[in-house]
Amino acid sequence: MAATSTEESDAELLERFDNVRLDHINKHLYRGLLHKELRLSRCSDCGWWHHRPKPICPNCWSKNLVATPVAGTGTIHLLILLHQGPPAEGVDYSTPHPVATVELDEQEGLRFTSTVVGADNDDLEIGKRVELDWIERNGKPYPVWRLANDGGGR
Amino acid sequence: MSIAKRNPNKDQVAFASAATTGFTRSAGEVTQASLALDACVKAIEAAGIDKSEVNGLIGANNGYIQAALGIPEVNYYVGAGVPFGFSIANAVGAVASGQCDVALAYHSIYRNASNSRSASNDPFRARAFASNPNAQALGDGFGPDTVGGAVGYTAWASRYLHEYNESRDLFGYIAVNDRSNAQRNPAAVMRGEPLTMEDYLNTRMIRWPLSMLDMDVPIDGADAFIITTTERARDMKLKPVLIHACTNGQVAQNEEDQTPSLTHHGQHVTVESLRAKSDIWIDDIDVFFPYDGFTFITVSWIENVGWCGLGEARGFIEDNWDKETNRILIKGRIPVNPHGGALSEGGTQGSGHTREAVHQLQGLAGERQVPGATKALLPMGGFFFNAQGSVLRTE
Ligand SMILES: [Zn+2]
Repeated sequence: MAATSTEESDAELLERFDNVRLDHINKHLYRGLLHKELRLSRCSDCGWWHHRPKPICPNCWSKNLVATPVAGTGTIHLLILLHQGPPAEGVDYSTPHPVATVELDEQEGLRFTSTVVGADNDDLEIGKRVELDWIERNGKPYPVWRLANDGGGR
Repeated sequence: MSIAKRNPNKDQVAFASAATTGFTRSAGEVTQASLALDACVKAIEAAGIDKSEVNGLIGANNGYIQAALGIPEVNYYVGAGVPFGFSIANAVGAVASGQCDVALAYHSIYRNASNSRSASNDPFRARAFASNPNAQALGDGFGPDTVGGAVGYTAWASRYLHEYNESRDLFGYIAVNDRSNAQRNPAAVMRGEPLTMEDYLNTRMIRWPLSMLDMDVPIDGADAFIITTTERARDMKLKPVLIHACTNGQVAQNEEDQTPSLTHHGQHVTVESLRAKSDIWIDDIDVFFPYDGFTFITVSWIENVGWCGLGEARGFIEDNWDKETNRILIKGRIPVNPHGGALSEGGTQGSGHTREAVHQLQGLAGERQVPGATKALLPMGGFFFNAQGSVLRTE
C-alpha cells in the first residue's frame, strides 16, 4: 500500500507496536490498524486474498500484493470461550472471554480472528453474522467483532 | 495433489528396543537431558548392544547426549521435533540410506514454567526455558484473541460440535478410555486416579469447549529407542518391530484459523499417503494408537482412518465401549492407547504411544498385553503442522 502523508513511518510503527514481531511483510496490516482499517493482503494480479501476510501470492506467485481494507462483514466459523489465559488489557476471563474466527465475505476460507464485543456469550454461535468494529486496547485502535444487526445466520 | 505413495523401504528398518523412565508430575532435581539419558541407557541395554554400536542420534541436544553417554563416533545426528513420528520417519530415512546403521532415538519431556504452575516455582526450570525462542515476549499484538497454537484444536472442536450437532461428552469418552487404560500402566502419571464421565463433565473448563481433562498432562520423563536395519535387529536381544510404513501430512493453508475444513487438513494428507504405502490397515491391526494431545484429536483420527464416517465417532465409540473395563475395545479386542495415552500416561508427544506399540508387539506390555499382538497403527499429531502416521508389525 502506497504510504500517504498521514501514514506512519516504519520507525513510528515500530514504536507504536513495540511488543509485536513486526517485519517488512506484515507491517502493512499493523499500519492499517492505526487507521481503523483491517487491511489484508490481496493480489493485484489475480485478486486472491490471503491471511496472514506472505511475501508472494500463494495462488499465482505474484509479488504485487496490496494491503487492502476488507468490508468487515462475515460469519462466525470457529468460536471458543476462554476461562483463563495470560493477563491482557480489557480481557475478562471470568465472563468467559469469547474468541471468534470469522469467515469474511470477500472470499471463501479467508478468515480473521478476534474477540466479540457487545453480546452475551449465550447469543454467540457459529454461523451468526458479524461486523468489524474498533475498540481501544493498549492505546491503539483494535479490531473486534460485533453481532450484525440483522443477527441471523446464513 | 501429489501424495507420496512409494514405500521402497517397507519393513527394512525396525525398532530393536524401547524404554522409558516412567512419568511423574515432578521427577525432582533433574534436567530434560538427564531424563533423556536415563531412557537412552535403558534402551541400549534392552537391545543388548554395546553403546559403541550406536552411530546415529535422533533427538534434541544430541551433542550433549553423545558426550554424556560416551558414544565414540556418530555419523548421523538430528533434532527431529515433535510429535515422535518425525523421529520415526527420520530413522527410516537415515538407516535405510546408510546415513547410520544403529540409531538411538529419544524424547524427553520436562514440565516448564508456562504449562505448569508448580514448575513455575522452580527457578531452575524457569531459567531452562528463558532462551527458548518460543518464550520470547514478542507476540502478534492480538493478545489472547487467537486460535493459534494448541488453541486451534479447541476452535475446531467447537466447529465439530456445531457441524455434527454433537456434545462434549463425546470427548469425555476419550478421556475416560485413556484414564481407565492408565490404571494398568505402572509408568502412567495418572495411575491410581480413575475417572468417570461424571467427573469429566464436572471438570473446570479451560477454553470452552475443552476442559482440563481434554488436554494432555504435563510431566517429567523420557522414552528412548534403538532403531536399526531389520536384518541387524534380528541379531539383537528382543523381537524386531518392523516399521512397515510411515509418513507426515500438511496442507497449504495450515495456519490454525485458515485451515480449510474438518474434511481437509494434515490428517487427511497423512491417511491418503499411509494407506497407499501400507499393506496393513484397520481391519488387520491388534492395537490402535491415535494421538491424544487433545481428546478431539483422537475423535478425528478415529473417523479419519476410517473406523466410521465423519461425525459418526459417537456411534462407533458407544458400539465398541467395554462396560466392564470402562474403555474402548474395538470389536471386543482392540484397545485404544492401552498405556493411557498423552491424556493419562503423560504428554509425551507420541513417544509414549510408540514405546507402548513396540512393547505390545514384542510381548512386553505386562498386564496390558494384547494376546498375540503383531500389528499396530499409530496415527499421530494433529491437523496443522504435525499430522503423521506409522504402521508397525512383527515378522
Ligand atoms: Zn495472485
